[in-house]
Amino acid sequence: MSTFAFLGTLEIGFIYGLVALGVYLTFRILDFPDLTVDGSFTLGAAVTATLIVAGVNPYLATLLGTLAAASAGLVTAWLNLRFNILHLLASILTMTALYTINLRVMGKPNVALIMEPTVLTPFEGLGLANMYLKVGFVAVCALIGGLLVAWFLNTQYGLAMRAVGSNKRMAQANGIVVNEKVYVGLALSNGLVGLAGALFAQTNGFADSTMGIGTIVVGLAAVIIGESLFASRSILVIVLSCIVGSLLYRVAVSMALNADFLGFHASDLNLITAVLVALALVFPKLRNEWKAKRAQEDTL
Amino acid sequence: MIRCENLHVTFNPGLPTEKLALRGIDLCIPSGEFVTVIGSNGAGKSTLLNTIAGDIRTTQGHIYFTERDVTKLSATARTKDIARVFQDPLAGTCGNLTVEENMALAYGRGSRGNLSFALNNKLRSIFREQLSRLNLGLEDRLESEMGLLSGGQRQSVSLLMSALQPSTILLLDEHTAALDPKTAALIMDISSQIIAEKQLTVMMVTHSMRQALDHGSRTVMLHEGKVIFDIAGQTRANYQVKDLLNLFAQARSDGEELDDDKLLLDA
Repeated sequence: MSTFAFLGTLEIGFIYGLVALGVYLTFRILDFPDLTVDGSFTLGAAVTATLIVAGVNPYLATLLGTLAAASAGLVTAWLNLRFNILHLLASILTMTALYTINLRVMGKPNVALIMEPTVLTPFEGLGLANMYLKVGFVAVCALIGGLLVAWFLNTQYGLAMRAVGSNKRMAQANGIVVNEKVYVGLALSNGLVGLAGALFAQTNGFADSTMGIGTIVVGLAAVIIGESLFASRSILVIVLSCIVGSLLYRVAVSMALNADFLGFHASDLNLITAVLVALALVFPKLRNEWKAKRAQEDTL
Repeated sequence: MIRCENLHVTFNPGLPTEKLALRGIDLCIPSGEFVTVIGSNGAGKSTLLNTIAGDIRTTQGHIYFTERDVTKLSATARTKDIARVFQDPLAGTCGNLTVEENMALAYGRGSRGNLSFALNNKLRSIFREQLSRLNLGLEDRLESEMGLLSGGQRQSVSLLMSALQPSTILLLDEHTAALDPKTAALIMDISSQIIAEKQLTVMMVTHSMRQALDHGSRTVMLHEGKVIFDIAGQTRANYQVKDLLNLFAQARSDGEELDDDKLLLDA
């Protein structure tokens, strides 16, 4: 793999690290499988790109893109909490609606940002090659995001959110307003994913109506890979392992695509993804079975 | 003080499965009193407890804490006054959080969670001190995952958690029913200690007539959603389980026998 390709892999890995953080908040912390992210990734990108083209400051545009995506999370939470629609279904409904909304926001299937200013523009005069700058910027974003999420989950409010995902009845008996935590959790999660979309659009130079497809699987892959490699109870380690999981996932995908003897094409990405996620899911189980077997043999 | 005024609760009103769970309960528990509630399955004991806690809405009637009408308050809002311990040891704690995290949640009961760290060394030393009262060695396991503890240990921690914040009312819902006799006795012991120490107003639902007579200062029996007898003081002190059974038979005008095996077995 060339240096250029490797840096590209890291860049995408860090961006999707933010997605992984969002997916971790819903799937693991709130126990709320949320597929909204397929739409909110694109929404973050679409809003940001459209605003930048319209002449809005890229930082303000990114903030607004993030907020738009966060509000998509609120819609899913509302459908689930107010009308008792199954969480999975509520999120699929929002995701479906977002496809149309994203097209409306952009007014066309894609928006190019090639010559537009981006969040990177202020740093371009520092003499760093563009590809290093991009990786550095998204790495800092992902790490700050990770540290903030870890900090948040260790606060009283964050702990209450973890309790809601773990045992609603206990949470309620201890005076925690369950619904509020779900709203806030989904808004945070989708906000992080929207931020990832906004950064993706600016580093890759476009927003596209189909760019969000499969976001949830990639995010989940990162979370699961991270979890199976770093078994830890520390929130900070778990959160950072989501980002590492995202990087490893990208490296694994690009190695699979680059290994000539495997004969994969770029269009085989989804199959590779599915296989990688399946492996990451199966691996911890097999490891436990081996351990149990060995322990049994030792005692015999 | 808890005051229930003509409480009615109907499940599935208007449907073929309609059930009149509570049919006019009038009950006043003065501050600092420890009431035990007994009754056969389906008598309405747990419904009454859950209605006071706010999990179940009243169909008719009012609930007052001291002089405040709380009938319309949510369960969450009522946690300012109420601490609870559930029957299921798994229900009162979060299995995938640590012991100290669970205790921190209980410590924050009634106050809004804010963005300061949930745990600090001051809290840890409070928790350690509390846990050492149990003599289960849990004070050295603050960072263990709750799910790794046994049912009895989890229930003990739940009990401690219920007393971490000042509350005036403690609701115990058959909280020793799922435990082995030795652990149950330990839990009952700690309960009595905490109740005496904090001078709590307590309502304990139990299946065991023995337990109902041995603890607290007043016993109420429910049947088909109504209070059928309510004894306290010297009368109660002289009572044995068989007297309770007689009283039950008398209270039922049709002379129906108590047919709940569990009630008799536990007697």
